[in-house]
Amino acid sequence: MRDKARFLFPFTVVAVGVALVVALVGFMEGVFMGMIDMTANLDSGHLRLVNKAFYDEEHLRPLDRSLANQQETHDWLVKHSSMQVDWAPRIRWGAILDVPDEKGETRSQTPVMGMAMDLKSPNSREIERLRLKSSLVEGDLPKGFNEMLMGVQLAEVLGISVGQSVTLMGQSFDGGMVADNYQVSGLVRFGVSAMDKKMVLIDLVDAQNTFYMEDMVTDWLGYFPPSTDLDDYEELKESMRTGLADWIPHPKDWAKDDAPIILSIRDQQNIGAIMDKFRVIKGFVVGIFTFLMVLVLWNAGILSGIHRYGEMGLRLAFGEPHWRLILTLAIEGLWIGFLGSVAGSLVGGSFAWYLQEVGLNMGDSFAQSGLMINDVVRARVTTDGFVQGIVPGIFASVAGTLVASMAIFQRSEANLFRELEAG
Amino acid sequence: MSETLITLERVCKLYQVGEENFTALNDVSLEVGNGAFMSFVGPSGSGKTTLLNLIGGLDRPTTGSVLFKGRRLENMSREELAAYRRENIGFIFQTYNLLPVYSVYENVLFPLILNGQKESQVRKRVEEMVAKVGLADQMNKKPAQLSGGQCQRVAIARALVKDPMLILADEPTANLDSENSRQILELMQELNHEYKAAVIFSTHDERVTRYIRREVRLEDGSISWDKRRNGTEIET
Ligand SMILES: Nc1ncnc2c1ncn2[C@@H]1O[C@H](COP(=O)(O)OP(=O)(O)OP(=O)(O)O)[C@@H](O)[C@H]1O
Ligand SMILES: [Mg+2]
Repeated sequence: MRDKARFLFPFTVVAVGVALVVALVGFMEGVFMGMIDMTANLDSGHLRLVNKAFYDEEHLRPLDRSLANQQETHDWLVKHSSMQVDWAPRIRWGAILDVPDEKGETRSQTPVMGMAMDLKSPNSREIERLRLKSSLVEGDLPKGFNEMLMGVQLAEVLGISVGQSVTLMGQSFDGGMVADNYQVSGLVRFGVSAMDKKMVLIDLVDAQNTFYMEDMVTDWLGYFPPSTDLDDYEELKESMRTGLADWIPHPKDWAKDDAPIILSIRDQQNIGAIMDKFRVIKGFVVGIFTFLMVLVLWNAGILSGIHRYGEMGLRLAFGEPHWRLILTLAIEGLWIGFLGSVAGSLVGGSFAWYLQEVGLNMGDSFAQSGLMINDVVRARVTTDGFVQGIVPGIFASVAGTLVASMAIFQRSEANLFRELEAG
Repeated sequence: MSETLITLERVCKLYQVGEENFTALNDVSLEVGNGAFMSFVGPSGSGKTTLLNLIGGLDRPTTGSVLFKGRRLENMSREELAAYRRENIGFIFQTYNLLPVYSVYENVLFPLILNGQKESQVRKRVEEMVAKVGLADQMNKKPAQLSGGQCQRVAIARALVKDPMLILADEPTANLDSENSRQILELMQELNHEYKAAVIFSTHDERVTRYIRREVRLEDGSISWDKRRNGTEIET
């Protein structure tokens, strides 16, 4: 039947616990997935096709290990992956950036690691992917021939302003020296220090001209739609790998020792291990909160058990079997757990949602970390986050009740009369 | 009227106290007829409550048997004993043991709900029972708002509502003044007539004797005499 006081405490415990779990998981997801997305969008893709020889010495940017047959490769990738996946050609290049003074003589030279991507074709999704428009703090996106985007902090260090010309000096695809002039069309701030300090972006076609890489790219990055489960990446990767083995001998312009490989984001930069650790940590957080909830509810159950000692005794004396009494309590626990979880999810979810929409500026602490973490932390509200809150909430409520009602099971009828008399 | 309702056959009850065995009941044999109105009397510690426990199927004798309408309780499982209590026995306690959060009405309803009945089907029955014990106008009060005598009336209604064969009442008047005790006893007597439920009390209370038809006296766990209203006295 009903007893509001008895209901209110466990309900509050579950609601608060679940709210904390949902908010915390949302927050952690936000930070972590923000980092993963940033890495994927800029650097690793969700999937990546790359020549093994290039990948092995990636830090040296061995452009001679690029992949030829751009169109054919793209067609193959589209055909052998899923419709959902968008394949973006990239060139990872490295060069010396030469900044001239007013007289045209070298003022400074800095090695830079840049990325070239399709910035100019109308159907390219790269601009949107890197949120270049909103990241632009000065100038414009590259539109004309040989234009360049530069991280705002890098420009500051080099004393470069929009409209200035710089020279890229590097090695071409076939090993010769190249030098080409670019004009800085705009400065970008991603809010990720690691990028703002180093980033130089140019258009793919310009890069192909500069480095003599017609019809060649170093990377194909594949992107799933945002909500895709991480496990889907792996699945598609595996299926593409099998196809790849049959395909490798075909493209006519590929070098004999070319060996393109398919990687997922997990395979790169240790991200797999980080993801696994994140899952474990998330599990710990949820587990600890669940454990605490069970503990509190168990004690609450014992307290209310004492409070309800008379009622329990009467029920047993009046002939309610032990198992049914416990079942009744478990169902009560289930309801309380369910209602508490729903309430807690709403509270925790709105908090996480607020953090998702508004963000929390972590200021310099993240800016200096060198991680690909946005300085503004956003939570992420996911259905998973809710499941991770509600399931433990219900579990804790039922488990707490059951542990507390062990006492009932051991209570023997023989003493009921005397116990009830005493009460 | 006397078909046998309860039979005790050489019942002994030992309690283990530390190393020792303490004999709470020693070789008690007894028959209780349908519709009886009787009491166990005797000094504190003589075994009255223990005996009610055994009859009510709340505990099992160490040796000997308790039979309910010829069925041996010792052959029943814990579950079957629970069902036996649920179906046949009403309990009344010295301290009433009403559920404080429920109203009078809900307290009387309680055993029927435990028996799996729907409130809508038994509402009339419950209201009738509450009226029977003279509390029709207190239906929605909580126990804390009632006097001791009124509480015990609720307990009586609660014991009777499921129409049991037997009501066990452990010192039902011990917490009441003499006027209230008298009223409670008269009420129980009246209901015993009307509903044909056998009633077994335990009591210290000399005043009770006036109302009962049979008095069984216990001393140190044995029956010392068994007195009937019609004058026959069986010494043991
Ligand atoms: N669980 C138990 N363990 C040990 N001894 C017990 C236990 N229950 C009862 N006894 C003993 O058995 C004897 C009979 O107890 P019982 O409660 O039946 O007495 P009673 O006649 O109801 O007494 P009172 O009039 O005080 O209620 C007492 O001496 C009591 O101490
Ligand atoms: Mg007693």
